[in-house]
Amino acid sequence: MADKNIDLGRLVIRAFNIKAVTWGDDNIVMPSGEMTISKKVLPDIISDMDAVESVDMRLIQPDEHDQFTNTILDIIPISTKALGAIGEGITHTLTGVCAMITAVDTDGKQCHEFGSTEGNLKEKVIFDRPGTPASGDVIISFDVILKSGMGQERKGPYQAHLICDRFLQIFREQMKGFDGKLCTERSEFHNIARPGKKRVVIIREVAGQGAMYDMQLFPHEPSGVEGGRSIIDMGNMPVFVTPNEYRDGILHSMQ
Amino acid sequence: MGVGPSAKETSLHHIRDPLLDLISADVDIDLLGIILFGSSDKFSEKILASTRAAIWAQGMRADGAVVFCEGSGNNHVDFANLLNQLGKRNIAAAGLTVMGKNGQPVVNNDYMGDVIDICKSSGSVEPCLLGQNNLAVTDCRKALAMLKLKMRKADRERGN
Repeated sequence: MADKNIDLGRLVIRAFNIKAVTWGDDNIVMPSGEMTISKKVLPDIISDMDAVESVDMRLIQPDEHDQFTNTILDIIPISTKALGAIGEGITHTLTGVCAMITAVDTDGKQCHEFGSTEGNLKEKVIFDRPGTPASGDVIISFDVILKSGMGQERKGPYQAHLICDRFLQIFREQMKGFDGKLCTERSEFHNIARPGKKRVVIIREVAGQGAMYDMQLFPHEPSGVEGGRSIIDMGNMPVFVTPNEYRDGILHSMQ
Repeated sequence: MGVGPSAKETSLHHIRDPLLDLISADVDIDLLGIILFGSSDKFSEKILASTRAAIWAQGMRADGAVVFCEGSGNNHVDFANLLNQLGKRNIAAAGLTVMGKNGQPVVNNDYMGDVIDICKSSGSVEPCLLGQNNLAVTDCRKALAMLKLKMRKADRERGN
């Protein structure tokens, strides 16, 4: 007869559904579901980045997918820790909105190596997959122009990811203080040990070869960049994470 | 060769990974956790990292492993070695990766037969559509079913 299950840790994720994302004078997000975006912080964000020529932003509403996009580096959820470290405590996340990073260099070369997704957004993205926006999501797109050749160097795409991360941090700081009672959805996840059952491990081989083949681990914020370590810099050697760390965003895909 | 746009997993994918959701919810499985390693561009590092992952799994006394490899081509060198190293240690394994329709894996061994092709595009070239060839729930169900069968078979062979 199997032994009793053991609870090794709990993670609570509170989701706040965003109903409208619009341009505004400041970057503000409200737990009631309003979000305004302003580009005025962008020059400050890129002031110390030597691989970045410029950056622009687009708000892509659900009915505006019929438009050109440069190659997509990543789709990023907007989440923050309200309590505890990644994998435990409480996470606040936004639904109905996500961030997207695109990049091209000043010579017009797309930031890709094994295939580019430049083209019409509605044709280049299969929406409603685990890794892609829902068709009803508002997409906050960061359109990065890198300096010549920098799309193929590690620091080019890294800095593109960092722009998005620094911008999202403005919202994360506000989200930390959201009243949990106002969340639209609450999920609870437990790391459960089931003694006596078959012991199974998931092993994931991830990218670790350079510019668009990198993985940032252990960032300060869920799905963040700042504070993280590159798997390349760790010699691509195996690391171990718990199920709750993984689903709380301990990885940032640097592709 | 490497990770094309259709196979690459975004940061959003990782927090909503169907493989983790499926396995962690299965009451017949004691999920130990997730081992991650990078696919290097150097052959010696590919072999080192993938072998260390298998040794780690053995140290955890794992009965089985679900192994996922993002991308194809040279990434399958590490993937194949990992499956081989797990097999040598009598750890049942089910693999998931993009292969088959885009050409057979660049390497092969006795354990490469237990791999599920997650490619969903019809052509033989990278379709460059974000999300198209990502892990789907059906792929994960197949892998878990395959793993359970292999673990049961191993039990029978051991006389349990």
